[in-house]
Amino acid sequence: MKLSNGLRLGALLSTAALVLTGCLSGNSGQGGGEGGEDPIRIGISLPLTGDFSEPGKGVRRGYEAWAGYVNANGGLLGRQVELTILDDQSNADRVAADYEKLINQDGVDLVFGPFSTRLVVPAAQVAEDYGFLFVEPAGAAEEVFTQGFDNLFYAAPAVANDHYNHLAEEILAMPAGERPETAAYAVMDDPFAQGTAYGLKEKLEAGGVRTVADEVYPPNTTDFGSIAAKIADSNADIMVGGTQYQDAVNLIVSLRQLGYQPDMAAFSTAPTNPEFPKAIGQQTEGIISPTGYTPEADYPSNKEFVDYYTEQNGAPPNEDEANAWTTGQVVAAAVEAAGCADPAPECQGKLIDWLHNNEVDTVVGPLSWDEAGRPQGAHLIQQYVDGEIKIVLPEDTKEADLIHPKPKW
Amino acid sequence: MSGPLLLQSLVLGVLLGGLYALLAAGLTLYFGVMRVVMIAHSAFLILAAYLAWFFTRETGLDPLLSLVFTVPLFFGAGVLMQRLLISRLRPATLTMMSVLLTFSIALVIEGTLGFAFSGTHRRIRLPYSGAHFELFGASIAVVKLIGFGLAGFSLVALYLLLKKTRFGQALRATMQHKDAAQLVGINTDRVAGYGFGLGLATAAIGGTALSLDSTIYPSLHWHWIGPLMAVIVVGGLGSVPGAAIAAMALGLGQSLLQIPLGTTWAQTFFYVALFATLMLRPQGFFGGRLAQRF
Amino acid sequence: MRSDSELVTGHGPRGGRTAVRAARLVGLLALIALVIAFPSMAPDSFILSVGVVIMSYAVLATSWNFVGGFTGYVSLGHASYSGLGGYATALLILRADVNPWVAMILAGLIVAAIAVPVGIASLRVRGASFVIVSIALVLILLLVFQSWGTFTGGSNGLRIPRPFSDDVLRPEQHERFFYLHAALLAVALLCWWAINRSRFGIGLKAIREDEDKAQSLGVPTFAYKLVVFVISAFFTALAGGLYALWFGFLDPIFQFSILVGAYMVLMSLLGGIRSLFGPLLGAVIVGYAMEFFKAQYGDTQAHLIAMGALLGVVVLFMPDGIIPALTNLVNRLRPQAASIRELSAAELAEQRREAEAADDTKEEVHR
Repeated sequence: MKLSNGLRLGALLSTAALVLTGCLSGNSGQGGGEGGEDPIRIGISLPLTGDFSEPGKGVRRGYEAWAGYVNANGGLLGRQVELTILDDQSNADRVAADYEKLINQDGVDLVFGPFSTRLVVPAAQVAEDYGFLFVEPAGAAEEVFTQGFDNLFYAAPAVANDHYNHLAEEILAMPAGERPETAAYAVMDDPFAQGTAYGLKEKLEAGGVRTVADEVYPPNTTDFGSIAAKIADSNADIMVGGTQYQDAVNLIVSLRQLGYQPDMAAFSTAPTNPEFPKAIGQQTEGIISPTGYTPEADYPSNKEFVDYYTEQNGAPPNEDEANAWTTGQVVAAAVEAAGCADPAPECQGKLIDWLHNNEVDTVVGPLSWDEAGRPQGAHLIQQYVDGEIKIVLPEDTKEADLIHPKPKW
Repeated sequence: MSGPLLLQSLVLGVLLGGLYALLAAGLTLYFGVMRVVMIAHSAFLILAAYLAWFFTRETGLDPLLSLVFTVPLFFGAGVLMQRLLISRLRPATLTMMSVLLTFSIALVIEGTLGFAFSGTHRRIRLPYSGAHFELFGASIAVVKLIGFGLAGFSLVALYLLLKKTRFGQALRATMQHKDAAQLVGINTDRVAGYGFGLGLATAAIGGTALSLDSTIYPSLHWHWIGPLMAVIVVGGLGSVPGAAIAAMALGLGQSLLQIPLGTTWAQTFFYVALFATLMLRPQGFFGGRLAQRF
Repeated sequence: MRSDSELVTGHGPRGGRTAVRAARLVGLLALIALVIAFPSMAPDSFILSVGVVIMSYAVLATSWNFVGGFTGYVSLGHASYSGLGGYATALLILRADVNPWVAMILAGLIVAAIAVPVGIASLRVRGASFVIVSIALVLILLLVFQSWGTFTGGSNGLRIPRPFSDDVLRPEQHERFFYLHAALLAVALLCWWAINRSRFGIGLKAIREDEDKAQSLGVPTFAYKLVVFVISAFFTALAGGLYALWFGFLDPIFQFSILVGAYMVLMSLLGGIRSLFGPLLGAVIVGYAMEFFKAQYGDTQAHLIAMGALLGVVVLFMPDGIIPALTNLVNRLRPQAASIRELSAAELAEQRREAEAADDTKEEVHR
């Protein structure tokens, strides 16, 4: 039996290799025929399973709604658009392989970005290597923009560090008696979450608000007892959470268990999640969060978006859906301006150049980018007022007044 | 560092340590009766938490009532698992292969939970989730106290079962020396099966306690298995009281170390203790003869 | 058909041995030819990148098999060493400005040095502690590499510059890294083969079969286990470093993942931990199956269930790997192909005589 393990393995491997190359190369290389009736094929990889699957699914809904809307309105350059969405299982190795597959094997004409900062960088690398334009809906952390990608654009109003800009200004402008003097931070060890909270921390410290607690915890922490104990012990006037979702819920419950009552509580991302009030109940009142999007915004294309999306899905869009739709709008604007949508480097180069030099009107407002793809804006600030999410800052778009100090939770 | 914070951390450490102690006792039972390192223990813990959440979502009743179903169910599953799967492995490679087998069970449980309930983080919304009372300046959350009470009660029950009943004697005999136990007429196969069932029952109780005060998601079990493994090594493989004491000590240590070190570095305490134990006293601090050989 | 003639010729005299050698050589050459030809056979660079990934799995599984195959100690945490190898390579390049290839080798040596105290802690006592330490090490490294952001890049991840210049396009990168991985695999296989034939290897296998007896026969079990463990960590680290250079991005949660370690175990076990090429075979099967499942079933958690179930089946029903399992199955289905135990000594002698008489290699191979 030892005789020919080598031989047998050789045979097995060659069969495997043949099957591999045969089976996995389904339909290769039918890339964009110029201007014809072929649809424009757009490749996307999203975390549809695994740790980032919740927002990943939101982004998918946004992309699909955008494609449906474009196709119902005459398509792009007169061609229909067709999405190919793969699941990267929330895994960096997979996300790179997915874009490799989309570009080489499925022969897509354009690519859209995935979700989560952790997945954007490896994906952008693949897109850059093949010369593709890479507009992404969810990689807001500073690190994304310091990697030297010139093909990358973030399709939202602001990078993570600028999310709280309006709130920082508001706090620092408060009269001395009302103005909080101390702040506590609890931040998930994640580039995006840290970006938001530390962006605010930097501005508040510069303005003289003392930091009395600063806790970093690993993603997937579920026991917040000790973190809450330290924050409660510091008795800070304002509590800032660089959070995602479940961590904010756990942290708030733990803080309540310790009887801590801050004057202001701001958490990133979590309060924009529709599950949040279901998990927290009545105690959401007064909680603040930055958001890149509100369905009420009166930008020209936003009403169409909200109407179309609501009609299709039975509920108004959230931030994830809006960012995906924005990504579609940004790429579409570049495609219309350059007059081409194919994988050839000349066309992709034209798209990239156009975006570097122009402003695009989107559902989150007009967007323009710096050299590294950073959008040049700030986020809105929302607050739970009477159980409903209201935009409270900045002054010109607010739907309600900021409540300060916030009610007890 | 202020006095109240220290006290508060002590209280939190004790409450957490209780849960660790119960779960570590379960792990020790498997190891004792079968020399099995049960990687799937924490996966069953999460499964029980999901069952409690599902029970509450469907019926609207208190998650604690789900124990009525999950404890017998898990006991039965443990017996079946030992009889149908673990006992099929070759004795010579049992320890290693059982690790892989239980690892594969953990993966199947995680995958099935993800399949059935998606990766969304779930949390039972309890009317008393934020309720707490003050004790000498430290506040004690009601849900954490319930969890601790459940764990403590179960540990005492387990202790009495092991020490005072005939079955307990048989179980301890099987743990200490299987061949000798067989010689004096103990049906060690059946006892091992029941030992497994008891171990899984602790996961059912622990999972329900966990679901009261934490969000749950399918891959959460990886977060639990590491510290639990450290606990049973520090306590000495195969020693139930050793595991319980080590769990309490490590839980307290972690909670106190969080004050100066922060959350992430404090978590490494379990592993530092694990390595230190293996370097200095490989048989663990409370282990008997058993641990020296494994 | 082949198996029974192999049994005979395997014990046979010179003629048989030549046949064995010839067939092995043919197999090996076919394998080498296939590996060399693969990049030109791949229809597009996605397939090529899958090839790189599978090759990387093969190196990892083969490296794992130094400790798993020889000593029977199952490490679920070999991702520690591949992750450390990747990070050490990256950090040497980024922080100390070392040449990438030198960095990779240095990283291997550093990780081997780290493996010494870990080995001492976990190998002094028997199996159970070893497994526990292997898992604990992955978890502790994940925490450390996440938290120590100023040095490791933390949760932002670490981007590694290309070892080749920018005008080497991506498909060509894939091709070069495919061959580099193949070369590393060849070195690892050669090393495994050499140990397998040495006195050292025999001592290790004695530990696998019965550690107590090996010890009482005078095998320095602890030293042997430690040496082979360090060799395993060294190769795993090289594999991690090479992969990191190819992939170009490191994130602690994907580097220090128990699942990665579990894949190494599954591949080795499936292919067969006792044979030289077993882990390679396992890597090809599992690597291909993962792509296939993903392409077929898309976005479900089923891949976890499938992997768990496959691992369970392998552990329960074919702990020696797929080749012995399939051979047994085939033999059971063919009544005439009895197991060797059912041959009497006389029959065996008769067969040998026949084999000796028919000193014709062709005939041997034919049978």
